[in-house]
Amino acid sequence: MIPGKYRSVSGRATNNVNCGLHLVIQTSSLPEKNKVEFKLNKETSSFPGRLLQHDLERNYSSRQGDGRVISPSPRNKSSCISSTTNVTELCGLEMKTAMSSLSAFGDSSTQTPSKSRMRQGCHSAGPNVSGDHINLVSSSMPSFPILQRSSEEKILYSDRLTLERQKLTVCPIIDGEEHLRLLNFQHNFITRIQNISNLQRLIFLDLYDNQIEEISGLSTLRSLRVLLLGKNRIRKISNLENLKNLDVLDLHGNQITKVENVNHLCDLRVLNLARNLLSHVDNLNGLDSLTELNLRHNQITSVRDVDNLPCLQRLFLSFNNISSFENVSCLADSSSLSDITFDGNPIAQESWYKHTILQNMMQLRQLDMKRVTEEERRMASVVAKKEEEKKRESHKQSLLKEKKRLTINNVARKWDLQQNRGANIPTNQDRKDSDSPSQDPCPIDGSTISAFPEETGSLDSGLISALQGLSVTDTHLVEVDGDTLSLYGSGALESLDRNWSVQTAGMVTTVSFSFIEFDEIVQVLPKLKIKFPNSLHLKFKETNLVMLQQFNALAQLRRVDQLTVDPQGNPVVNFTLWKYYVLFRLSHFSMQKINGTEVTQNDMIMAERLFGILAHVASSELPQYRMISILGDTRKKQFQYLLETKGKKPGITSEENNDSKRLTGENTNRATLNYTTRDFYNEKLEEIKEKKKFCKMYIEDLVKEATEINMKNEALQKLWPQMFIELVRDAVIEIRNKNSYMKLCLQQITDQK
Amino acid sequence: MLSPERLALPDYEYLAQQHVLTYMEDAVCQLLENKEDISQYGIARFFTEYFNSVCQGTHILFREFSFIQATPHNRASFLRAFWRCFRTVGKNGDLLTMKEYHCLLQLLCPDFPLELTQKAARIVLMDDAMDCLMSFSDFLFAFQIQFYYSEFLESVAAIYQDLLSGKNPNTVIVPTSSSGQHRQRPALGEASMLEGVEASLFYQCLENLCDRHKYSCPPPALVKEVLSNVQRLTFYGFLVALSKHHGINQALGALPDKGDLMHDPAMDEELERLLVQVPGLVNSVSASPEASCLPSRTPPRVASPWRPLHHSRKVDAESDGSTEETDESET
Repeated sequence: MIPGKYRSVSGRATNNVNCGLHLVIQTSSLPEKNKVEFKLNKETSSFPGRLLQHDLERNYSSRQGDGRVISPSPRNKSSCISSTTNVTELCGLEMKTAMSSLSAFGDSSTQTPSKSRMRQGCHSAGPNVSGDHINLVSSSMPSFPILQRSSEEKILYSDRLTLERQKLTVCPIIDGEEHLRLLNFQHNFITRIQNISNLQRLIFLDLYDNQIEEISGLSTLRSLRVLLLGKNRIRKISNLENLKNLDVLDLHGNQITKVENVNHLCDLRVLNLARNLLSHVDNLNGLDSLTELNLRHNQITSVRDVDNLPCLQRLFLSFNNISSFENVSCLADSSSLSDITFDGNPIAQESWYKHTILQNMMQLRQLDMKRVTEEERRMASVVAKKEEEKKRESHKQSLLKEKKRLTINNVARKWDLQQNRGANIPTNQDRKDSDSPSQDPCPIDGSTISAFPEETGSLDSGLISALQGLSVTDTHLVEVDGDTLSLYGSGALESLDRNWSVQTAGMVTTVSFSFIEFDEIVQVLPKLKIKFPNSLHLKFKETNLVMLQQFNALAQLRRVDQLTVDPQGNPVVNFTLWKYYVLFRLSHFSMQKINGTEVTQNDMIMAERLFGILAHVASSELPQYRMISILGDTRKKQFQYLLETKGKKPGITSEENNDSKRLTGENTNRATLNYTTRDFYNEKLEEIKEKKKFCKMYIEDLVKEATEINMKNEALQKLWPQMFIELVRDAVIEIRNKNSYMKLCLQQITDQK
Repeated sequence: MLSPERLALPDYEYLAQQHVLTYMEDAVCQLLENKEDISQYGIARFFTEYFNSVCQGTHILFREFSFIQATPHNRASFLRAFWRCFRTVGKNGDLLTMKEYHCLLQLLCPDFPLELTQKAARIVLMDDAMDCLMSFSDFLFAFQIQFYYSEFLESVAAIYQDLLSGKNPNTVIVPTSSSGQHRQRPALGEASMLEGVEASLFYQCLENLCDRHKYSCPPPALVKEVLSNVQRLTFYGFLVALSKHHGINQALGALPDKGDLMHDPAMDEELERLLVQVPGLVNSVSASPEASCLPSRTPPRVASPWRPLHHSRKVDAESDGSTEETDESET
């Protein structure tokens, strides 16, 4: 991984570190006076403090990322520290040296105390405690200071040069230092990188805390590995084209708004872009060696491309503006990422934050500087599973809902078709209507399918795909929702035959019928009465209620408290009298509400006033034989049903009988007002026709016979007087001759003996 | 007993013509239908009851339409039953649509055909605006004519059409056929300008029809009276005139005069008695008769969904009169 070259170089650097670096910088403008002697102390004496500081920082950063917010001084560059440690690890440098050498892009503050102690200014050369002597000599060349070092210093620190806090506004010309590998310009006022293009062996360039506005002048430094440009005024990442060996790039504390021109840095391990103005992170491909990416304190809302970084292990996103995991979802695809921070983002405030992150990034070992424990991982997966389940459940629910909707649509369509057909065949519609739809469902299905796409258009794609599996050809729907039993389509009536649990049956107080012919409903009312004894509220929608007399059928129920008849598909509601008729006919239920309106006493009186006479006429003036026949029908019907279904259970049967008796007892005067469904009525008419035919023949025969007898009788009556006279005359003639008659009589007597 | 009619016909025909056979057949039919129940309380009793109910006109209640229209007596009985049962609806002053009247009819006769109701409504509404509201009395009298004389009216319609189209109705053999035709030709020319047919010619045809018609038809004298008042008339004009004619109503004998249409003291008494029995009724109703009137009249106009009492333009004068009369008669 690490180029051996670099290691050896660092090794050499290490050797020289302990030696002081004595530079003499001469400014050309201030020849003698300004001859300042610096002492860059790289001595061991200063090390412990620095090291301590570093350790502190390191711990600090690893323990508490937030700490930085509390003291966000530009001096505190946690990013640099991590880089430091990183480099330390990577390069395998001796700890101390690494610290010292890299502290430059670490924290200035760490050095400040000792440094300031050492030198207060450029010109006031502090007491030579020990170390380097640098002479800045103002050169003859305009405005560029020329740097010279004494030869012994050169020998001592042949490959390093430190020009910290020299109040430099430009880069000095560094002559004769071609072997320089490490150059430090920390804490100056340099606005432009220049005059260093000759230092082609430079490996380490530190320009921390200057005023550089553009990255430039680096194109010749091909061996540069560490470039520290923290706390400058850079707006754009550019001109790094030739720095192919760059290992560490620190650009923290600048004004960069966009990640760009870094795709060729395939050896880059550390990239620090903390405290910039980034709002979106992407364009990261090509950074194949990047292991650490620091993006703290930006305004980032979304991160992309992270999954294109094969070596990325640490990613710091603290103090940004990330509010949802979707915006950083690429993180889940990174297999190498083991350490991530999100603290100080809106997302970290969410309750789902931790488990969502952990669930999506199974490879994570540290989150917000804390080790991810197995427990947490497990919790996360549990929570995630639950969430998944919830999601699936809701999906299922919506699927069901959708299916319900579709089914109802289907039923409605079918109903419409049926109604239209009914209108087209006005005569004899009753029979055909109920039969034909079930027999030819094909055209109905066809229309359903054709209408399908537009109907589901509003749904998300997942639902659509799932829905395609659904059969939309369902012709009916039964739904129990709380206390409401809803039946859609005539097929749903069959559900009343089902074995409902006692609990369900007891709970249902509202029964709603939609898209069912009322006549079909009438036929199941006895079942309804038995299966759902607590049903109090009946709802009818699209049930073809057209006549007042249809309400008669409801009288056979046990109890009805509320009745709702939707005007849709029930023309009867348009009648002014329907409500009163219902009240009148179902008065034994003492109904409370009709179509949601409270029934008042006045309504009851009105109902009685309007229809009371009808009931009276029906009850008192109906000849008894008719009464028997009418009441007999209902009783017979009930009996028939009981024989069919519950005949085996004598207990219930007798109870039923009692019930019906009680019912008829309750409203004798309107029991005669009952409703027979059209089918049934037609059947009855047929029956009557048959009987009539027979009666006609029978009476005809009888009457003919009677008239014949009558005729004979009349004829006899006509003949009788004449016959009588004739008879008398014969008798008189016979007895006219007394003697002969006597003789004859005597003769007869003797003959008899 | 032995009316001349009786002697003029053979027994069987006589029985058939007087619909005795119809009732006998029906009686046996009814007997057949409920033989178990009836045999329990006696067949003689049954026949007694049956023919009593026929006399009283209660035999048609809730019967099938084919029976109800079978005899003139049945028709009259049905008209009377309808009037008695739903007089209260008219008394309340409500105007109803044709469909609603039809529903009321169906309460008494479940298979009452819509066609007949429609035709009756057409008489009231003059063949248009079938959704209009009608007053009870208007509808009832129109319905009476339409229902009782339905076959007759069909024939009249045919004659009317024939007359309109200018040819001599082939169903009618007019004695003065040649002169009739002569008179018709100019009438045709006028017909394009004037509506309807000439009354006198129309009457001639109708008179002829009445003579031959085996179904019941209105007394020719009254028809003449109706037609004599006008020069020309339309078919519906004729029907309206028929329906509003007192004499015809009286001749029919099913309904009271228009003025007395809302009068039925016996039934009103019965109703008051029933109102007392309304389940959970307040005492106030039974306490004061005014109170019982008040709630029934006020609520529908205030809070209930009853439609405001708009009169359709055509029935305006008539229905207003009738409702006012009701109000007066009630108080």
